[in-house]
Amino acid sequence: MYYSKVKNRNRNYFLLACALLSVVSLKAQDDLMDELDDISEAKPSFELPAFKAMKIGNLQSTKIAAKGDLYLYVSHRFGSVKDGFETFFGLDNANTNIQLVYSFWDGIQLSASRESLNQTYASAIKVRLAKQSKTFPLNIVFYGTANVNAELEKDRMPDLQFGDRMSYAAQFLVSKRISDKFSFLMAPSYVRQNLQDLNEVGVANHNQFLMGFGGRMKVSKRVSINMDYAYNFNRNTNSFYNNPLTIGMDLETGGHVFQLLFSNAQSTNEPGFLSNAEGDWSNGIIFFGFNVVRVF
Amino acid sequence: MKKILFFLLFSVTISGFSQTYFTRTGTTNFKASVTAFEPVEATNKSTTVILKTATGDLAAQLFMTAFQFRVALMQEHFNENYMDSNTHPKAVFRGKLADFNFLELGIKKEYNLFGTLTVKGVKKEINTTARVTLEGDKIIVSSKFTVAPQDFDIDIPNIVRKKIAENIHITLNYELVEKK
Repeated sequence: MYYSKVKNRNRNYFLLACALLSVVSLKAQDDLMDELDDISEAKPSFELPAFKAMKIGNLQSTKIAAKGDLYLYVSHRFGSVKDGFETFFGLDNANTNIQLVYSFWDGIQLSASRESLNQTYASAIKVRLAKQSKTFPLNIVFYGTANVNAELEKDRMPDLQFGDRMSYAAQFLVSKRISDKFSFLMAPSYVRQNLQDLNEVGVANHNQFLMGFGGRMKVSKRVSINMDYAYNFNRNTNSFYNNPLTIGMDLETGGHVFQLLFSNAQSTNEPGFLSNAEGDWSNGIIFFGFNVVRVF
Repeated sequence: MKKILFFLLFSVTISGFSQTYFTRTGTTNFKASVTAFEPVEATNKSTTVILKTATGDLAAQLFMTAFQFRVALMQEHFNENYMDSNTHPKAVFRGKLADFNFLELGIKKEYNLFGTLTVKGVKKEINTTARVTLEGDKIIVSSKFTVAPQDFDIDIPNIVRKKIAENIHITLNYELVEKK
């Protein structure tokens, strides 16, 4: 009797041991991925960029060159499409801008450019103040640029001083990627024009405030439709110039972005197109143009 | 019976102490470069890997955003256009080193490594060999294998097709330490 009791107890132990063993081996099988997850450190999630290039069309976007990336921006704005075959829809009268963009520090981008319109030299700085993420809803960037008009001739204007060649723009660029495809931007802007031709602007307004708007709609992974516009609060009704409206398209092909666009502004510099857009969409005086962006 | 019981309890104890080796800083590299074009390659230095030395079970996971490219824009395009990293943030591997025996590590160095690699939510069976060595208290696992973009439904547009290799070479080097 006693013997059989022990046997019985042994059987219980045996069952217990089997149960334990199976639990342990089950754990080793299925929980390996959980265990992996437990020890793994989560990385920041990937935030889709709001814009593909540094410009939407003419207006600056909130994109900033990443540290160490060198970009070459080549922009053309042709003459008026309305000229027809006489200039082959404006192709004979091109304004060319060549710009180099580089970032020495994360979130700060410097650039220098030369544009053939008014032989303008420009330098600019772009600084990221905030980035859209799960914890913050907006991209906020400051942009400032100084332009030198090298075309003005002292022979014709004896009183010309160096400061008269200068124009400036300062902008806060605030954008939000509203969905994976659609991004929107607003740009409260200030422009300073040191020299103005009263025949063109009506009444002098050296200091101008504007509100810029821009948007991007992705139609595929590599193609988007873009639009930007700026409303100038200080433009005189007699001014020859208009508010700039640009409609374009981005084609991204790896290291290049091609931006094809139509605009009523010929200048690609902010003081140029924000103040002095010479074309007019309402009577068809618009310019075809493109920006080719290449990264190195 | 007592012997059986002792044996069973002993084996339970063994499995209970089954050793785990791991790392959070494993290096995973891929090369999709084509000669004469810009190099397309990146390295991930924060791969998490876990190895059960009792069974040879091995699992690894990495975050796509941690792949570092030479050109930051290429990295952005990799995440945005090819890997959809916002919806598929990580890749995982679950596999086994065949006939792995911790005690034979000094003698046998080449092991068959097989398992399932999941990238962008698509699974692919991987069958390769791995070199496993013991250096001090570290187990070093290194291996190479090849995958193709279409294995994981990664669409390569015509315009860059010539610049991205048809076969992507993946190399890995993991230094595992004992988990205590």
